Amino acid sequence: MTLRIARKEFTEMLRDGRFRGAGAIVFILLAGALLLGWRNHGEVSAQHATAQQATRAQWLSQGKKNPHSAAHYGVYAFKPQVPLSLVDHGTDPYTGVAVWLEAHKQNEFKYRPAQDATAVQRFGELTGATVLQLLVPLLIVLLTFNAFSGERELGTLRQLMSLGVSPSQLASGKALGVAAALGLWLVPAAVIGAVAIAAASSQGEVMASVPRMGWMALSYVLYFGAFTGVSLAVSAWAPSSRSALMILLGFWMMNGLIAPRVASDLAKTWKPSPSAFDFGQQMQLALTKGSDGHDPGARAKVLEAELFKKYKVDKLEALPVNLLGIRLQDSENHGNEVFDQSYAALWDTFTQQNRIHQLVAMAAPGLAMRSVSMGFAGTDFAQHTHFAKAAEEYRRMIQRTMNDELTYNAPTTGAPYMANNDLWKKVKPFDYTAPDAGWVAQEQAPSLGIVGVWFAGSALLAAWSARRVRVL
Amino acid sequence: MLFSLMKYEWRNLSADRTPLAIALLLGAALAYGAWNGSQWVNFQRTAIQSALQEEQERLRGVRAEIPKIESGEIKASPFTDPRLPQALGRGPGARYAVMPPSALGALAVGQSDLYPYYFKVTTGSKQTFLNADEIENPVHLLAGRFDLSFVLLYLFPLVILACSYNLVSAEKEGGTLALALSQPVTLPALVMAKLLPRAALVMTLAVLLPLAGVVMGGTNLSADGAGVRLLFWIAITAAYGAFWFALAVAVNALGRSSATNAMALAGLWLMFVVVIPSVLNVAVKAAYPVPSRVDLIQATRVAGDAATRQGSKLLARYLEDHPEMAPAEKGGAPDFGTIQVAVSEATERAVQPVLDRFDAQVAGQQRIVDRFRYLSPAIVAQSAFNDLAGASAQRYSHFLAQADQYHRQWREYFVPRILRKVKLSTADLDQLPTFRYREEDLSDIASRLQIAFLGLLIPVLLVAFPAWRWLGRYPIAGS
Repeated sequence: MTLRIARKEFTEMLRDGRFRGAGAIVFILLAGALLLGWRNHGEVSAQHATAQQATRAQWLSQGKKNPHSAAHYGVYAFKPQVPLSLVDHGTDPYTGVAVWLEAHKQNEFKYRPAQDATAVQRFGELTGATVLQLLVPLLIVLLTFNAFSGERELGTLRQLMSLGVSPSQLASGKALGVAAALGLWLVPAAVIGAVAIAAASSQGEVMASVPRMGWMALSYVLYFGAFTGVSLAVSAWAPSSRSALMILLGFWMMNGLIAPRVASDLAKTWKPSPSAFDFGQQMQLALTKGSDGHDPGARAKVLEAELFKKYKVDKLEALPVNLLGIRLQDSENHGNEVFDQSYAALWDTFTQQNRIHQLVAMAAPGLAMRSVSMGFAGTDFAQHTHFAKAAEEYRRMIQRTMNDELTYNAPTTGAPYMANNDLWKKVKPFDYTAPDAGWVAQEQAPSLGIVGVWFAGSALLAAWSARRVRVL
Repeated sequence: MLFSLMKYEWRNLSADRTPLAIALLLGAALAYGAWNGSQWVNFQRTAIQSALQEEQERLRGVRAEIPKIESGEIKASPFTDPRLPQALGRGPGARYAVMPPSALGALAVGQSDLYPYYFKVTTGSKQTFLNADEIENPVHLLAGRFDLSFVLLYLFPLVILACSYNLVSAEKEGGTLALALSQPVTLPALVMAKLLPRAALVMTLAVLLPLAGVVMGGTNLSADGAGVRLLFWIAITAAYGAFWFALAVAVNALGRSSATNAMALAGLWLMFVVVIPSVLNVAVKAAYPVPSRVDLIQATRVAGDAATRQGSKLLARYLEDHPEMAPAEKGGAPDFGTIQVAVSEATERAVQPVLDRFDAQVAGQQRIVDRFRYLSPAIVAQSAFNDLAGASAQRYSHFLAQADQYHRQWREYFVPRILRKVKLSTADLDQLPTFRYREEDLSDIASRLQIAFLGLLIPVLLVAFPAWRWLGRYPIAGS
């Protein structure tokens, strides 16, 4: 019986010109967004790959140089573009694309792509994710708002009930019908998306992309299911089709447009992040409390005492190591502590802010879906910091290599010392591997849970409302 | 007649609780939006204040340090000695170029959360200080703010549509339309009579609340043309609202049922506020793709390396061009500071074409947006609101140009002194160039806004005129 109802719904929708029109618009927007995303991804990732090679070549061809000059020269780390980001740009437009890895300092990422766009960007980008998170739910609402109320208003609900159809059969039949009709548009779009992602992936990336795609598809299905359930429940419970539509449109607005902004504002108010100025000042203050390597100050005496003890000598000239190298590494160590603390505090603030978003997401599943989608696309903030941390590790490795060279190979007399190509080659190229889907699933567990709970809850709600539906 | 109809309509509205609820909702959203905007303005003001305070304390420190170095009380390395212009201009003496939030800044956050509003200007190259981005959770930048401009662009039309989607159809469905029209009144007059009280209610809220917010926020309405800006703000809001009212009337005039009207209007809202802007956004990006800034980073690096390699040669060439800056005493190898001047100027010159390429692409995007924004009144209103609140990209580039000029001025002060190896004293600290932000010319903004206003008014007429014609053919009885 359920299947028969589903088939009736499906046929009816296919014959409805409004659905065909709306579905076609959604499909065209989705396919267009995916194809444009694919083109853009190709260009940008090629630029980043070229730049990463160029920065390596520059590092290797420095010629003869003091290791500390090389450390100041440094290298750049360019954020790689994950293939799935063509579906969901996430926070990528609003985080910098590159970071300079130099001596003494953990830098901020520079150049947010959104700064090179017009203000229209702020209405929202047309990406696969926008269509899936905003427009498809609207389509679901339009398809289901009169599922029960419409039957009642036509007088057919009475007939159905008199045939012995159970309300939950009716509800699941309607849900299946909608799912089939949506699938007619969304499955081809998903195929286009998968092909685009495969085309955008290099050999190694394809295997990493598949589980991410699977997770993403699954969570979108749950999200659409949640919307269908809510729609059916409201349709069964609302006094008329008109009020069902009004309630559902209100929910859609709140979910997609109002909640994200309110969540941001609440998060900012409850867990304020520092201004860039204060952040920089605090860090500077903490840094000056140690030595900066060039100007030893008080720390130098302590350091010398330690060295005298370690090498069992009583004057600087007798030390078997280069003092400058030791001092520089000492200041790096101090700096690293400061950076660890400062950035950990900042990122922790952001994490807490995102937790407030999750709290709001309990009332608006769109927020949770946005987070999950960005996560599997590889464009959420957690994966940005994952890259930032890897880049910072690499910077510290370069500093250690350069300072060790000074300490153990430079003349202990403090005479000028030049290193060559051999040293530059000792620094391995920066090789970053993005975390796998399992890592993301773990990071996104709360949001995934919220989407899941919404799915299950809305299904229960729909069944419950259907059982209570007013027939007359 | 019109007047008495309006009176009855008003009574009708007051008896119904829905308009009151809608009005309260809109009022609350407007107030919350205004509050949010003022929070952001306060945040910027505090950051600017701390920066200026830091600058003052730093300069006071330098002022106290110089005599001590002169008397030999403390020793300073050539990198940190503030008497050396190359050291002072790079760090201890640096000053901030600041763009304060504009008078109506609290009304729209716009692009102001994306672009820096202060720079620490030094003798170094522009690339070293232009990236003073504000720290922000990127998720928040993505979502945007719940500011007044959001309420007016997104929610205000919905409120208008919610209270007028069944303007005529409800009368027909209730059977009162034929009755009312049996009186000596035309349908257009009846529509007017129903429209005006609604418009009065909604428009008053949308106009008065921001006004109250601005006045209570302590904005000086006579300064910086704030009064004129506020008038423009009201005009744009009113024209934008008028567009949505006209749209509601036009859809009603087609004579369909209330349910169909609601669906059609919701679809149009989605079209104008969500779909057209995002399609336009991808279209401009496809037409003028901006390459990733990694290109700029690489270009800067390559130019910097090249300049460093031929540092002393560059200096010689530089001095040939500027013989008046040659050091007073001949001989001796040029020091680090002198070479750095030549290197950073050469780097900047070499990178300029790359920067221009980026700017040209973004300018191309903006040109398309400017041309096609009339497709959606929401885009026209958004750019007008950003302009009025001083949160537009135009104001940012206006600031950037001034910061650029100040940077040149800063260098013009320091570079000759670096080259001539002058030692500065405390008296010189008072001579350092200072930055003063000049607000955008009101006439420039006004001319942009007049076009925006027309861009809203013409669509109102384009919708209202056929609506009027269709009302004449309205099927008053039957279906």
